[in-house]
Amino acid sequence: MKLTSDVLKLDLPSVENRIKRFVKDYVEKCGADGVVLGASGGLDSSATAALASLSLGGHKVLGIAMPEEETYDVTDIQHAKLLAKKFDFNLQIVDISSTLKACFQSLPIYDVADKLSKGNVKARIRMVYLYYYANKLNRLVCGASDKSEIMVGYFTKWGDGAADISPIMDLYKTQVRQLALHIGVPAEIVAKPPSPRLWPNQLAEKELGIKYETLDLILFGLEHFMKSKEIAEQLKLPIKLVEDVKRRWLVTEHKRRLPLTTKLGYRTIGKDFRLPHKPY
Amino acid sequence: MPEKVNVALAQISCKVGDKKHNINVMKNNIKRAKEKGANLVIFPELSLTGYLNRDLAYELAEPIPGSSIYSLEETAKKENIYIVFGMPEQSEKAHAVLYNTAVLLGPDGLIGKYRKMHLPTHSVFEEKRYFRLGYEAPVFETEIGKMGLTICYDMFFPEISRLLRLKGSQLIVCISASPAVRSRFFEVFTAARALENTVFLAYVNLVGVENGLQFWGGSRIIAPDGSILAKANYDEEDLVIGTIDYADLERAEAFVPTLRDLRPELFNSLREQAEKL
Repeated sequence: MKLTSDVLKLDLPSVENRIKRFVKDYVEKCGADGVVLGASGGLDSSATAALASLSLGGHKVLGIAMPEEETYDVTDIQHAKLLAKKFDFNLQIVDISSTLKACFQSLPIYDVADKLSKGNVKARIRMVYLYYYANKLNRLVCGASDKSEIMVGYFTKWGDGAADISPIMDLYKTQVRQLALHIGVPAEIVAKPPSPRLWPNQLAEKELGIKYETLDLILFGLEHFMKSKEIAEQLKLPIKLVEDVKRRWLVTEHKRRLPLTTKLGYRTIGKDFRLPHKPY
Repeated sequence: MPEKVNVALAQISCKVGDKKHNINVMKNNIKRAKEKGANLVIFPELSLTGYLNRDLAYELAEPIPGSSIYSLEETAKKENIYIVFGMPEQSEKAHAVLYNTAVLLGPDGLIGKYRKMHLPTHSVFEEKRYFRLGYEAPVFETEIGKMGLTICYDMFFPEISRLLRLKGSQLIVCISASPAVRSRFFEVFTAARALENTVFLAYVNLVGVENGLQFWGGSRIIAPDGSILAKANYDEEDLVIGTIDYADLERAEAFVPTLRDLRPELFNSLREQAEKL
């Protein structure tokens, strides 16, 4: 297999249709009235919101923008509004600053210098808000994680990773860009540097230490059972970089699974209890 | 036996675990197929229960004959029609031993069954976890021709279709639950199995979404010369009827005489090499 950007090219109309069919089918099977999703104004959430609207109709999609003081960016809000208007879905803006402040103040071991622990609280508070809306409005929470970020564990466990469905989770970041442009997400949103907005000036590629164009090809190779050495040689990369990506992928498996337990019973949740999703 | 037989491809979507619903869907399709002149109506793999039953397979499986067979037998008799459908079969002797089975019913009731011989257990498939391998590939002599049954992944293995053809099959039925990423494989394999054996092949695939897997449909009847006689839509429920004319078998056999040119001495060598793989 030749690892070039060609391997990441999609049959865009087919992928669009499959995602739309998947969303509609699952929402209907669950008897839900639609979906709620975080509308950050970024690429992944915009692509997801647009696909959900095309699938269900905008009236069944509710985007929640959840800005907070530390990472507030007026452009994000403008982009969320632009997208909501274009794809005709409802948008609510909910400032979560006071909730975060109260949360941090009530934590006896709160450490302002520990930006990771603090940042993860932001992602998890956003999750709490989304699930409140979902419960209240009989909707599903629609996640916006992509395959690149999920594979390397670049998400907050039970935060942005928590959802009922994740329609774009089998697409790498560079594939999400292709699909977003194909369905009409404005180019300025697609071109924006990705950021989880957990602390000021946080940029995904800077933090990961690699461009998504390269990361996606490494992950694609790993997905297709290629050895690190072969991937490094083909992409003309240091083997250490490929090994680092592989290590991140393997050590973050716990983030993609149900909590681990030790087997005690006849059939055990997450191990040999195997049931279909929504059988009826 | 009529020279021409009308075959209905009933490309349905199933509710996982809901036999009552699925039987109703099948009965409705049988009625519609009969109204359109069908002699035989074919449903997808595990159409009685849906495909991804996982641990529910143990409670959904039934012996053959069993209550679901009796229910569909009534319809076959009433509509004077042949039916092929799929179900998880429970062994009479050991109740937790299950088979992924294709059943053939006719106007006089149950004719026979085929237990899937190749069980995919890779990628998203976990069939060996639940099912025992089948060991027989019977050919059924019916009023509408000599028929052999296969199931889905069997298409990847030329041996079983060849065996059925050598045993006299004029029509090979393949019932399937193939997810969308595999459509290109089946499009090639179904044509190849028909062409290399100069036999009619009716392929019926599931549609709908189960556990995030999207089944692509694309059911078809392929003539012994590899041409497509009838084809259902992709990704949506459909009921399509095609006519097969058994007289075409002789013409195809004369034009590309693959059966005449078979080299049986290769089969022993195949077996030896396969055992050493």
